[in-house]
Amino acid sequence: MTSLLKRFAILSTLGLLALGPLVLFAGNANASGHTPYQTTRKNAGTPNSTIVKRNSAGVVISYGNSAIMYNAPSSALDSLGEALFMQNCASCHGTKANGVPANGVSGAYPDLVGLGPATIDFWVDSGRMPAANPRAIEAPRRFPRLTPSQAVAIAAWVNSLDPSYPDIPTPNLKDANVADGAALFALNCAACHTIEGDGDALAESTNAPSLRHIPAFQVVEAIRTGPANMPRFTGNLSDKQVRDIVAYVTTEIQHPENPGGFGLGGLGPVAEGFVALLVGVGILALVGFWVGERE
Amino acid sequence: MSDHEQRTPVVLQGLSENDPHLQPASRNPAQVERVIALCFVLGTLCVAGFGACYWINAKPWTLGATLGGGLTFLGIGLVAWGKYLMPQGPFVEERHVLANPQEDRDALAASIVQRGGDVMKRRTMLGGLLGGGLGIFSIVALFPLLRSMGPLPKKTLDHTDWRKGSYAVDITGRRVHVGDLAVGSIVTVFPEGTQNTDRGQAVDQTVLIRISNENFTTQKGRETWGPKGYLAYSKLCTHLGCPVGLYEQELQVLVCPCHQSTFNVLNGAVPEFGPAPRPLPQLPLYVDASGFIRSQDGYDQPVGPGFWERS
Repeated sequence: MTSLLKRFAILSTLGLLALGPLVLFAGNANASGHTPYQTTRKNAGTPNSTIVKRNSAGVVISYGNSAIMYNAPSSALDSLGEALFMQNCASCHGTKANGVPANGVSGAYPDLVGLGPATIDFWVDSGRMPAANPRAIEAPRRFPRLTPSQAVAIAAWVNSLDPSYPDIPTPNLKDANVADGAALFALNCAACHTIEGDGDALAESTNAPSLRHIPAFQVVEAIRTGPANMPRFTGNLSDKQVRDIVAYVTTEIQHPENPGGFGLGGLGPVAEGFVALLVGVGILALVGFWVGERE
Repeated sequence: MSDHEQRTPVVLQGLSENDPHLQPASRNPAQVERVIALCFVLGTLCVAGFGACYWINAKPWTLGATLGGGLTFLGIGLVAWGKYLMPQGPFVEERHVLANPQEDRDALAASIVQRGGDVMKRRTMLGGLLGGGLGIFSIVALFPLLRSMGPLPKKTLDHTDWRKGSYAVDITGRRVHVGDLAVGSIVTVFPEGTQNTDRGQAVDQTVLIRISNENFTTQKGRETWGPKGYLAYSKLCTHLGCPVGLYEQELQVLVCPCHQSTFNVLNGAVPEFGPAPRPLPQLPLYVDASGFIRSQDGYDQPVGPGFWERS
């Protein structure tokens, strides 16, 4: 039995040696030397939609079409949003949300005025803001510190300073064409996020995040506002096309079919063959040793 | 391995019936036999059940469970039988020498040497002719190898299909209008008419990026190339020709997915990291009277990786 243990130890050591570089590679996403992250520039577009609803004062409160509806946050949330902003955001972005903090140095933090409610909502609701480390090169997705309704309230107050678009989207996935979404995903998204949606390393210690656990409306917000290094997709993707991409992400990417039961992260045939050789053949070899072993 | 001495191989012949080498490996063979018998009974029941399930067209998982269970139980019983009930040995069996007697081998060698000396002569002329034939054959055998490389590219690598006034269209053939892209957007474009051709997708593919709302100059001499903040670069990496489609709008870099060559979008796609030796060629653009993005002219240099005659 001791010889079996010894063989198992040797095999697993070899496996760890082979896997080690992968682990190091995955963990190496923390260098600095660049400016802190910024949000997108202004010019977030105007509603060009089949459905436009206005309130009694003539202000657009929702617009869109059968694919995606964009809703402006209620102005009743403004005062709550202001209080939350002062507590959670003003130390960096300033009390006027213009990126000038109390020490008066501008340029270090982004100006949030005029970015549109969808931008503010995405950053807060995905847990990227308030940032864990305001000087880090990227603000990764994490468990949100504020609730979804608090995120909308902050978006409402910032938007009240300079009303702009896009508003907070609600995609209607009922009639979506997942196949079209897959083709559009391959064309526009897969270069950075990979065709499996797992994300990948990019230049200068940045990375494209995984899409495995993102709610549908946040996918729309990211496509329409282009958070951080992601390009923004506006006129070259219609709402219907964005809706199809969202349907593909929330079905095939977030719930992939794994006939074998264990997808191994969808890393491809090289990784799968490696696991099959190391684990499968390794177990077979151990069984073979055991069958031939005489006490 | 403390019992190594006991395991020295012994000759099977002449062992007494109660020799320890002939005993089963198990200390309690009767009990092991009962367990194996139980395995065989369970295995038999399972394969019989498999037959029954097959007969009545049961659900596939019942077929898998009964067949898998049957093979597993029969296999466990078989392995245990061999491992615990067979004589533990190990044994050796002596083998007689396989070679012929020495005098037979000497006689055969002598007869071959004698006959060879009588019959065989050197024939240098035939050897030379054969050598000539084989030598020419080895040269001729290279011909299909050379032809398999295809026709010479001649000048096709020097120019793309971008011409003076070509409309930039996306993969669906839609012309790109100046109002289509917001700042920070990217789209892959082709000269109109080539977006569905192999050549168009191979050599004409171009990334169109909008970096601002104002005219933008990347380098001296390119003052008019970036109207309304639109910049166009060849999508072929100058290293090995991969599609440079990873645009990071905050860092303003294009990254090649193959070897992480990084090109600075703002200064004419000069490589700032990675193995790419040259900047991505920039396509001069203009916005026509209807607001469509068009090319002032073709690329001013060959696109893609280097080649021997590249000027």
